[in-house]
Amino acid sequence: MAESLLEIVGLGKRFGGLHVTNNVSFELNQHEIIGLIGPNGAGKTTLLRLIMGILKPSSGSIRFKGKNINGLKTWDIVNLGIACTFQNMRPFRRLPIIANVMVSCMCPRAMKRGEWVKRIEAKAMDALEFAGISDMALEKASTLSQGDLKRLEIARAIGTEPELLLLDEPFGGLSPLETDLMAKSIKRLHKGGRFGRLHSEGPSMIIVEHKLQQLMKIADRIVALSFGTLIADGKPDEVVRNPQVIEAYFGEGGI
Amino acid sequence: MGFIWFYIRKIFTLFKCEVLVLPSRVALLVFVVALLLIPAFTQDPYLLWVLILTAIFSIFAASWDLLSGFTGQVNFGHALFFGVAAYTSGLINVYAKVPNFLSIPLAAIAGVLTGLIVGIPCLRLRGTYLALTTLAFPIILTGLIFALPEVTGGELGISGLDRLSTSRVYDYYITVVLMLVLTTIMWKITDSKTGILLHAIREDELAVRAGGINTTRYKLLAFCLSGFFAGIAGGLYAHIMRTVGPSTLEVALSFQVIIWSVFGGIVSIYGPVAGVFILFPLAEFLRILPKVRMLVFAVLVLLTLIYMPEGLIPWIRNKIEKECPRCKVRSIATRKTCRICAASLD
Repeated sequence: MAESLLEIVGLGKRFGGLHVTNNVSFELNQHEIIGLIGPNGAGKTTLLRLIMGILKPSSGSIRFKGKNINGLKTWDIVNLGIACTFQNMRPFRRLPIIANVMVSCMCPRAMKRGEWVKRIEAKAMDALEFAGISDMALEKASTLSQGDLKRLEIARAIGTEPELLLLDEPFGGLSPLETDLMAKSIKRLHKGGRFGRLHSEGPSMIIVEHKLQQLMKIADRIVALSFGTLIADGKPDEVVRNPQVIEAYFGEGGI
Repeated sequence: MGFIWFYIRKIFTLFKCEVLVLPSRVALLVFVVALLLIPAFTQDPYLLWVLILTAIFSIFAASWDLLSGFTGQVNFGHALFFGVAAYTSGLINVYAKVPNFLSIPLAAIAGVLTGLIVGIPCLRLRGTYLALTTLAFPIILTGLIFALPEVTGGELGISGLDRLSTSRVYDYYITVVLMLVLTTIMWKITDSKTGILLHAIREDELAVRAGGINTTRYKLLAFCLSGFFAGIAGGLYAHIMRTVGPSTLEVALSFQVIIWSVFGGIVSIYGPVAGVFILFPLAEFLRILPKVRMLVFAVLVLLTLIYMPEGLIPWIRNKIEKECPRCKVRSIATRKTCRICAASLD
């Protein structure tokens, strides 16, 4: 059995009396894509934020490659090999797009890897090339459309050359065509290989998404949350038929 | 002989293709040459005195821009760095007889340490809370200075510091050349990869952290760098005035530096320098109209901020130069096409 890359055990986060995630446990294996689903307010984004160290868990533990990453700073976690994109895109609006990606290419992890490490601009350009927005590299990030901002987020995340990528609603606000393109990009990234000077070993992924149809196509496993509690974990077609998942989405009685 | 001719031609070509093509670069060149030539035309002590102080405050304003403009760590108590450096310079020069060429670098180191001391508690704060916290530090230090009059001289301060040099013209050249060198260094820092990180921290700190960058380190670096440059300005000021008093820590000075910087245009380094070079001599020369001096000053600043919210220099620059929509290189506004890629500028 393959060693698990990420191990979440009994993870809980409390804001006062509100349990946002409650005793969540699951594992992510190497080269696996997990789709994280659940209705609004289920605690999906909070879970990603807990993994990234943006929030500190109230209970439980998170182990990455066997190492407990509870309490580590966000940048230390990124340098261990986890990267994330944000649901509400957070570009550096007044900086050129290439500078946005250069920031993540300058992290210690990315600087140590690859033979072209000194050429940060070239590496950032390759990340943009992969994301498909290299033609706009010199434009200010504030000029980008919603879809291109999502692409910029992906380019920034892969700039750190992660082993685990956390994508928070990568298809959110995209047109059907853009969604298809984004899904293709995610699959290509997961396959791994060299994208110019950028090396991808094919990161494992946790994808939070509401567009279930697209998610089913790319995810190996689905984890469903409701009110902060894990209600299902299994193959995509099993999870969507799970009565608890149907009830969480559509209320008692299902559709 | 041939290679000398080769280099002369190379420099001339560079000058023609890189400097003469942009009005802003020509203006900068004229400004630098004029500054260096002023003592050749006039050695009026009052004029040189004003320009010396202008140069010192330019370094100070640019250091504020490095911290608050570029890194977004809004500092309402920037006079702290200036005052600590001035007092350090004064104390070690008067009591320990340390010569000025050592006391000024030591003052800059004091500025760096002050940056660390202020920076560490301010790491968790941002926006209004950070601004108000930084405002408290110089006030606390002023209290300490009044509490220890036997060391600090209390309200009267420390006097009898060594002169910076033997003549006013030398003083002028030392401060002006230092101003040009230090502001160039600051500009190069902001133009470097570190500058990109500082700018990114200003935009969105969490996103920088998610990019694997230790933002704490870079914010402290910004505090220390800013403290260093403000420290040199403080050290120079102490030796030029030959006296150091609590006025170097005044809240008014902290706000003055913000007015100069915002007037000139923040996030540019050259903006605050230009702001000081316009506003400080103006305020000095308006002393002939004591009754309306502050009114004229305030109206001028107010009008600039209303009609040029980015600041005076970026506004002028955008009027006389255009950015190419394709390659982002700037060309003179009278051109119809980009000077590099020939794209239409209309």
